[in-house]
Amino acid sequence: MKPRQLDRYGSKRPWKHWAGMVIILVLVAGAFTSAEWDFSSLLDSQQRSQAFTRMLAWIKTFSSPDFSPEFLKHSWALTLQTLSAAILGISLAVVLASLLAMGSARNVMVGEEKARGWMRHFPLRSPAALMCSLCRLTQDILRAVPDFVWAVILVAVIGLGPLTGALALALNITGILAKVYSELWDSVEESSYEQVRILGGGRLATLFYGIAPLAARSVQSFTLMRAECAIRNAAVIGAVGGGGLGADIWYQIQFGAWSKVTTLLLFTLALTLTADLASNFIRRQLRSDPNHPRTVRAKSTFGQLSRAYVGVGFTLLVVCWSVWFMGWGDNAPPGQQSRNYLEPAIKLITSESWQNLKFFERMLNPELDLEAVGLGDREKVRALQAEGKTVDLFAEYRFREFWKPSAWVAWELELRKWFVWRVVKSSSIPLAMAIVGTLMGVLAAMALTYPHSYAFMVESSHFSGESPPWWVRVQRMAQLVVAKGTGLISRGIPDVMWAFLFIAFFGPGLLAGTIAIAIHSMGVLVRVFSESVDNIPYRRFEQSFIGSRLNCFAYTAGAMSWRDWMTYSFFQFESNVRTAVVFGIVGVGGLGFFFTFNFEWFRFERAGTYLLMIIALTIIIDRISRMMNLSRVSC
Amino acid sequence: MIDIQETLRTNWPFHYYHQTLQEENVKRIILSAMIMIWTLGLVVTGSTLPAFTAERPSKLVMTAIPDDSAENMREFFGLIAQHIENKVGIPTEYVHVANYAASVTALATGQADLAWFGAVTTAQAYIVMGDELEVIAARDIDKEFIGYFIANADAGIPPVNDLKELTELAQDKNWTFTFGSKSSTSSHMMPRSFFTDQSGQNPEEVFRTVAYSGSHDVVLQKVANGEFHIGALGQPPYDRASDELKLKAPIIYTTPKFTNYNFSTRKGLGSELIGQIHAALLSLHESPEGQKALGYLKSKQFVDADMSEWMGYVDLIKSGVDIGG
Repeated sequence: MKPRQLDRYGSKRPWKHWAGMVIILVLVAGAFTSAEWDFSSLLDSQQRSQAFTRMLAWIKTFSSPDFSPEFLKHSWALTLQTLSAAILGISLAVVLASLLAMGSARNVMVGEEKARGWMRHFPLRSPAALMCSLCRLTQDILRAVPDFVWAVILVAVIGLGPLTGALALALNITGILAKVYSELWDSVEESSYEQVRILGGGRLATLFYGIAPLAARSVQSFTLMRAECAIRNAAVIGAVGGGGLGADIWYQIQFGAWSKVTTLLLFTLALTLTADLASNFIRRQLRSDPNHPRTVRAKSTFGQLSRAYVGVGFTLLVVCWSVWFMGWGDNAPPGQQSRNYLEPAIKLITSESWQNLKFFERMLNPELDLEAVGLGDREKVRALQAEGKTVDLFAEYRFREFWKPSAWVAWELELRKWFVWRVVKSSSIPLAMAIVGTLMGVLAAMALTYPHSYAFMVESSHFSGESPPWWVRVQRMAQLVVAKGTGLISRGIPDVMWAFLFIAFFGPGLLAGTIAIAIHSMGVLVRVFSESVDNIPYRRFEQSFIGSRLNCFAYTAGAMSWRDWMTYSFFQFESNVRTAVVFGIVGVGGLGFFFTFNFEWFRFERAGTYLLMIIALTIIIDRISRMMNLSRVSC
Repeated sequence: MIDIQETLRTNWPFHYYHQTLQEENVKRIILSAMIMIWTLGLVVTGSTLPAFTAERPSKLVMTAIPDDSAENMREFFGLIAQHIENKVGIPTEYVHVANYAASVTALATGQADLAWFGAVTTAQAYIVMGDELEVIAARDIDKEFIGYFIANADAGIPPVNDLKELTELAQDKNWTFTFGSKSSTSSHMMPRSFFTDQSGQNPEEVFRTVAYSGSHDVVLQKVANGEFHIGALGQPPYDRASDELKLKAPIIYTTPKFTNYNFSTRKGLGSELIGQIHAALLSLHESPEGQKALGYLKSKQFVDADMSEWMGYVDLIKSGVDIGG
């Protein structure tokens, strides 16, 4: 054997897994040391008993939700408002995102190019590449800026009302969808659409006839998944005058009106379930799965062709309903007259209302506090130096003393005088929450995937060869139902509402936020994890079955879907970081808290600095995920 | 890897390649021209469309800072809107927002015409709007407003004479503390300012956690059920609460008097209309719906007010409030 061939085996050593595990351990250790964790609500016996009384009080009300006709009517009105605004927001977002994604997908915007390897990540290689990175920047900003900030900014343009909330939602989701669309398009192999280019198709033709059809399946399922999330999370609508479920639940939780909270949660769950069923219906109409036993059955030509029209027609119907409801339906918030909320849209085409955006101009001029590091205006620097408020990094310890731990402490203390450093440090709280929460969620989801999987619970006789008696089958079915129910509840209740609940139980802090993130991530992930397990053909299990279903799950199913699981987990981590920033707004602290504080006090310069940090976080995580080429979504 | 451009150039008939290139160019030019015309058209129509704020607006939008439950505020501010509509003769609508900053933004950018502000929001609006802001009326109690510090009854915290005493009591006790909303005057800004003035310390240095619950009634609720040991809130929300809640969360300190809420508007409405709204507000106690609203607001009637009474807050905010970060 030649040495070069041996090298190939050498390079195939699974060092990447070890590296990954070490990185995760370092991150977790960092999460626990860099942020202040307050476990007193769990360790202190008095506080613990208080938290449990509150939790118990909440659980008790499940037997007696507030079903008075008045409150039911109120909740129903809120549900419809949430639904119509969310659907309107999403439909706008889908249109905007497809346009933006054309700009930010490398293979659409840049197309064929000679650049290989790292050059592909260098934005100045050609004008088209520059355009492409600008589009990516746009979508990162759209996604990073929390939706309630978009709402307040839009108030200046089109005034108060649910339409403002819907548009804010649209802007935020545009950022999310454009990122996913462009990543999915970019992950299509160049060789699979080469023919279109060889036949003389331009870049748009390549997109429409080559790239888009190949990625359509993932694009469609991700759009529907996002739509469900948006319907659940449409709390922003209430922030600027429109009602909505989220805002109301927040309010009732604070009052400990648990019976009302339970009713509202039931409505949210029902809404989620309906959205789930509706999106599954659309998915079934638009996609045919050749491996599924049901599709083998012969269908009439009409039956085959009409499905796509039924799917599209249903979608259009839903969109039309939401427009009609916001404009002419019975859309009054409780105690008010209904009116046409679409009217303010006309303000979007007058330059006068756009000029109102000047109100937020100061945000573009973030405070960098350069004086504190000795740059900028000389006199101010001197004044600050006299007060000892400038950063003098090597005053106590020289640079060559870097091996002393105390030197690092002193340097950090010195750096704290600089505002920008404090901003950077404040990001440790959302990051810590996201890291620990995602990890807990992923582990829990992996454990729950086994009872959640149809293949292992119901159809295991197809590959194990066993023929279990009826009572074993009943017991397995029960496991499946419990697991599915757990998954449904933990993802059906939005993460922000979980955070509200746990803040009410344990008090505001990292702990409440982390648990909320963990539970919600578990619910979202267990569904996709078990979907990827159930998609494995049973004959693969048959070959490796050694007598124990659990072993087969761990060593065959788990190993085969590992890559998919990691892809989904990283996506979840990315969105959890943003959620954790939003949690700061509801009282967990850190980056989001300081940002909203400065924003609500109209200290736009300082808010601008915090916003830059939020955007930077989003961009860094996004670029890492693009470089790791994780976006191979096969849902 | 096959280079497609290269393949085209060597294998395809030259003239054909040339032709497609030309067609492509023409298409491109037409397309970019169309886009340019389109944007130009948009800009032109945008700038020439008639301004929407006519001499006398066809409707008035009223908003308020959300310091109570949405249902309460919709009901009682809806009544005030009704009263103004009857007196001024222009349809008036109350739009509820769940965010303090949104209400200030709405008035400052002309999306709302009338706003019920606290002192802090008034000062914030003044900082962003300047002389465009006009304060037109306030409640009789707003000129001598007070705030309360309340404590959970089971925590065994005695009433104190000043806040210095409270900080001494709080040493090594691990007490938790809650304000109302960040932008609130009587449940955050003034209690905080009195606290630092009297004790020389920030609340963050004295208590284990300092939280912002969102609104006055929530502060009372959370202190009463023991989620927080101590809280700060304004007078009317405490007074209108049930006796049961008050027993669970007794007052431990009453702040000195300060100026608070008012109705603000923008000068862009024209002095005639502002005068009419002013008159309508001052006569609020004369109509039945006005009486109802005043009962909710814990006030007898509205009185004259002027921006100068709130200028102290502008200075206070400009001098910077230390919130950390």
